[in-house]
Amino acid sequence: MDELDLLKKDWNKQPDEKKLSIKDIYPMLHKKSSSIVKTLFYISIAELVFWILINTIPYVTSPQYKERLNFILSEQMVTALTIFSYAIILLFIYLLYKSYKTVSVTDNAKKLMKSIINTRKIIRYYVIYNLVMIFISSALALVYSINHDPNLENISKFTDKQLAIFTIVSILIIGAFMLIIWLFYKLIYGFLLKRLNRNYKELEKLEV
Amino acid sequence: MNRELEHSFVELLEKHQNIVHKVCRLYTNNYDAHNDLFQEITIQLWKAYPKFRGDAKFSTWMYRVGLNTAITLYRKSKRSIKTQDFENVQFKIKAEDYDDTEEQQLKVLYKAVHQLNDIEKALVFLYLEDKDYREISETLGISEVNARVKMNRIKNKLRTILNP
Repeated sequence: MDELDLLKKDWNKQPDEKKLSIKDIYPMLHKKSSSIVKTLFYISIAELVFWILINTIPYVTSPQYKERLNFILSEQMVTALTIFSYAIILLFIYLLYKSYKTVSVTDNAKKLMKSIINTRKIIRYYVIYNLVMIFISSALALVYSINHDPNLENISKFTDKQLAIFTIVSILIIGAFMLIIWLFYKLIYGFLLKRLNRNYKELEKLEV
Repeated sequence: MNRELEHSFVELLEKHQNIVHKVCRLYTNNYDAHNDLFQEITIQLWKAYPKFRGDAKFSTWMYRVGLNTAITLYRKSKRSIKTQDFENVQFKIKAEDYDDTEEQQLKVLYKAVHQLNDIEKALVFLYLEDKDYREISETLGISEVNARVKMNRIKNKLRTILNP
């Protein structure tokens, strides 16, 4: 007899571990879940709110920022960009909603894991989109400031080489800042989904 | 209506609670963690219950939700982390633990099963619950052939753990 059969014999012999009465179970139904799907849901809401605030607050609270933006871009451009960014936000909300709807605890283990991983991917795309947009707009703002900002008039005295170094260093700083935010996300999701990823890989490995 | 649903669910869960206890026993190391996982599985079962159609057996449905919660959804709470992980200390198997008496063998076997990874535990659990390979493959989302192959590997792995 192999080891597992010995274990099976004992496993089935075990007396029912009836610990909980109906009265014990009732309150358990109304306790809060701490599942990773719920955590992921809250994180995605936080992401949406965070990036909406980052994009909106300077425009609403700082008249100088608004003035400068309206100076650089035409009013139509600002309107078009605003519509575009809100359309993207709505698109992500729709995709996230659709994705969460597919997560079902009654699916098989592999399908459940896959749908959670897909949801996490959508959040990742949203973060990447925002980071790319911030990088592009920061770079454009930098180039614009160098050419037009009276506060940076010293720069006009720079030689071409100094200007190139200044631009490269500035872009590197922006890039490093983006990288830190990205690593921060990797850390959060890595920590949250470590076990899920490991188990998913294990199931994938079986099908090779 | 909701009250009726709640009542029928609680009655069923009370009757079949041993399935959930067995999942918890396999995936947790201490009393607090056991209760915590039991709580989470109960919530997940309750959330999914309105969609439960009587065409599957309640117990079969419980295996799936229970294992999915243990393997995928469950996030260890702070409460269970604080508690000392006594099993980690206990579950180190030494060669001299392996004794011929059946009782001793069983003790070591349970320890060995606890050392398997989450997926292997799920396979062992369904095997111990007398589920056939079709049901094992459907629950985990792998092919029947691969479930068989993996099960044989687990048996070998257990043998290696027991006879280092």
